[in-house]
Amino acid sequence: MSEAVRLDGITKRFPGVVANDDVTLSVERGTVHALLGENGAGKTTLMNVLYGLFPPTEGDVYVDGEGLERDDGGGYVGSPERFDSPRDAIDAGVGMIHQHFMLVDPMTVAENITLGNEPRKWGGLAVDRAAAREAVVDLSERYGFDVDPDATVADVSVGVQQRVEILKALYRGADVLILDEPTAVLTPQEVADLFEVLEELTAQGKTVIFITHKLGEALDAADEVTVLRDGRNVGSVRTADTSREELAELMVGREVMLESDYEPATPGDPVLRAEGVTASDERGVVAVDDVSFTVREGEVFGVAGVDGNGQSELVEVLTGLRDHESGRVELRGRDVTDASRRDRARAGMAYVPEDRQERGLVMEFDLTENGILGSQHDEPFARSGRVDWDRADDHAERVVEEFDVRPPDTGAEARSLSGGNQQKFIVGREFARDPACIVASHPTRGVDIGSTEFIHDRIIDLRDEGKAVLLVSSKLDEVRGLSDRLAVMYRGRLVDVVDPDAVTEEQLGLLMAGEEPDDVPSLRGGADDAADPPEESGGTDAGRTDGVAGDGGDRE
Amino acid sequence: MSAGFGSRVRERAGGAGLRLYLALGVVAALVALLAVLLVAPDSTAGQFAAVLFANSTFASALRLSVPIAFAALGGIFAEKSGVINIGLEGLLIIAAFAGIYAADLLGSPWLGLLGGVAASTLFALLFAVVCIEFRADQIIAGLAVWLIALGLAPFAAQVVYGSTNTPRVATFATLPTMGIPVVSEGVTAELLFGYALVDLPFFGALFSATPMVYVMFAAVVASWWTLNRTAFGRHVRASGENPKALDTAGVSVSRVRYAAVLLSGVLCGFGGAALSLSLGQFIGNGPTMVDGKGFIAIVAYLLGNYNAVGALLSTLLFAGLDALQLTLQARDVIQVPNSLVRTIPYVSVIVVLTLFGRTRTPDAAGDHYESGEE
Repeated sequence: MSEAVRLDGITKRFPGVVANDDVTLSVERGTVHALLGENGAGKTTLMNVLYGLFPPTEGDVYVDGEGLERDDGGGYVGSPERFDSPRDAIDAGVGMIHQHFMLVDPMTVAENITLGNEPRKWGGLAVDRAAAREAVVDLSERYGFDVDPDATVADVSVGVQQRVEILKALYRGADVLILDEPTAVLTPQEVADLFEVLEELTAQGKTVIFITHKLGEALDAADEVTVLRDGRNVGSVRTADTSREELAELMVGREVMLESDYEPATPGDPVLRAEGVTASDERGVVAVDDVSFTVREGEVFGVAGVDGNGQSELVEVLTGLRDHESGRVELRGRDVTDASRRDRARAGMAYVPEDRQERGLVMEFDLTENGILGSQHDEPFARSGRVDWDRADDHAERVVEEFDVRPPDTGAEARSLSGGNQQKFIVGREFARDPACIVASHPTRGVDIGSTEFIHDRIIDLRDEGKAVLLVSSKLDEVRGLSDRLAVMYRGRLVDVVDPDAVTEEQLGLLMAGEEPDDVPSLRGGADDAADPPEESGGTDAGRTDGVAGDGGDRE
Repeated sequence: MSAGFGSRVRERAGGAGLRLYLALGVVAALVALLAVLLVAPDSTAGQFAAVLFANSTFASALRLSVPIAFAALGGIFAEKSGVINIGLEGLLIIAAFAGIYAADLLGSPWLGLLGGVAASTLFALLFAVVCIEFRADQIIAGLAVWLIALGLAPFAAQVVYGSTNTPRVATFATLPTMGIPVVSEGVTAELLFGYALVDLPFFGALFSATPMVYVMFAAVVASWWTLNRTAFGRHVRASGENPKALDTAGVSVSRVRYAAVLLSGVLCGFGGAALSLSLGQFIGNGPTMVDGKGFIAIVAYLLGNYNAVGALLSTLLFAGLDALQLTLQARDVIQVPNSLVRTIPYVSVIVVLTLFGRTRTPDAAGDHYESGEE
């Protein structure tokens, strides 16, 4: 066995930040190597150095897909690589599959794979499409990929798009493949397929490095794991010789509770109720299709699904950010279907949006200003038409302290905070509203393990205080761990509502892929809302009458 | 009102069905008009039909479509690469004046054409530098190109010739009078029943046009080929859809965009110079002789959904309506004020866009791209 990649003492400094600090990494040829770390640990930066996107401030890069040769003294034969651009790295046999696919949607699979390296004919006057197609079919067969070269990329599934990306790198002669968070957008089944593909690739002599922050995946798929923390390599271990606990401790730097056992919920009255909600996305395609559910006091109702199956649109309808086509939404018995954002917030709905920079914060505002967003018209911050900035500042300080937002400076612009700290601030602000109902969309996206743990505990605290929580997340562990009832969304429909403690990961995966596995611990019978106790229908009717009255009153 | 009239009609007619029905309807109307023309040539409808089917109407439609089609092709390249070139109108104006000026100086319409192309390409380069290098807003930069050209061309004419309208220069000859061996004689030779190709009803115009009409058809084919069959064309499309994908594939996005914008300058140069050189004069009053053709070109390529052939067809439609409108005015066929008749092409633009407005804009059109940005 020999090394295919050697990064020697890589330091990468950006203005004001050290992203990588003297990192040494060695990857054996023909193996899968996981680069594990929390967000901001410097994994992607390190790989961008290897891929030629950033030159390293210090340190050397050695690459040879056939294995590096050592001389007698233990040094390397040949000089280190000098990559000025990805082009150079590609020429040296390094391919990178980015987290966000670099594909041209309206073009075909074959066109995408050959982009930039098209076989030509007639002296360059035309692309040799037959040759391109053949090259793609050959590659695809050689590595056991099931890919149709003539399909349009926009029409194929995310899993297939990822294979197209891998084929693209292979077509360019890559021997070393870097995959950046390859599983983030896949269903569990697609993840399993991907790992098989990786196995096939390494069996044929390719070397794979994949970046992840998921412990389980690193253990499942890799032969060796290197953990980065704060830009430093804190240890490389063979997966055979390590455990989840050890890796978690390496990642975070302290012991972590990996699985929290929360007390079961004691649900009370219905708080948030959706009935036959249907809505379309920007393109006019139905994104939410006849969705009905009820979230009750003191319970967490989880919504799982692969991103893009209507979860975002459903949350937007519930929170008043998107027009619905039919159906109704009730909050504490009051019909809020047509109520504005502000009305809903006043009626006790807090909202943690999925896109913190787009919807959660005004990036140019400081934390004091951001801290009262959504409450700027209300007591105690607004008094006789002006904002009481002293109170606003006190409020922001409380949130910053309670949620450990760093740096703890309420005068700092939201833009200057890291993503994880922005997220903590939003969650803190929304939880501080003392709402009756919280709609939380990916509340721990981009947040490190330690803070995730804290946010999870707070969600459970709120639940135990009797709030209703609607939790949407693409992290299966998260929705399963926190939810008392778990709904699965696929193509805009709630395909089932299951008991998160009884359902298996495989069953969830199948549900998320739109299939119907056997023996699902469904909490929903034949009828649409069988999960709700029968006495509720009467209560709802009463609620409706109240709702109408309340509505009228509010508009006066 | 998100579901407008157009989409409702589309839903009812079921996608492609609507186009089919409309096409059938148009054909039926044409057949009916032809019948009226034969049966009752003196009625209003008969006179209208006579105008519609006149050889001269088609001839002037072809003439009018040259600048629009070239500008539309230029717009396709630029926008497909991700740079919205709203300054097509300005490029046409500059080329129209430079074409006359160069023809006047050098004494040949062909050299005038070269001058027009050079001037328009230079302007496009300026636009490209501002948009690609300095990341200016493409719409504002495009409007600037138009406004600068709108002021600069008449001003230059004033300085050089003492009037915003230039004196006349030699124009392009038409195919039968160009003296090309075989071809020129061929189209005028009496073939059947004493008719020559140029005398064919309606289609005769195809054989007696100026060379720029044929260059236009060639440019449409060449553009289609370039965009859809060459590696460069793929790079242009990728650059407008997902520049990052192109960049990571090792192709320079800004180089592709420069090439595409310069190409739009070259094509507009052909269009603008052909416009003024077919009249032999640059007219710089008011909106100049270009008079919105660059903007109609934008509509034409959008309606053609960025397809060169589609853009040509919609250009022919607009130019045909314009020609019809001109002849109707001249012959005073319908008893409607001329200012209303003049709006026919523009009203039809709106109607057509409402019914067929299913253009797919490139994803990254209008966005700046800088390599290495995360």
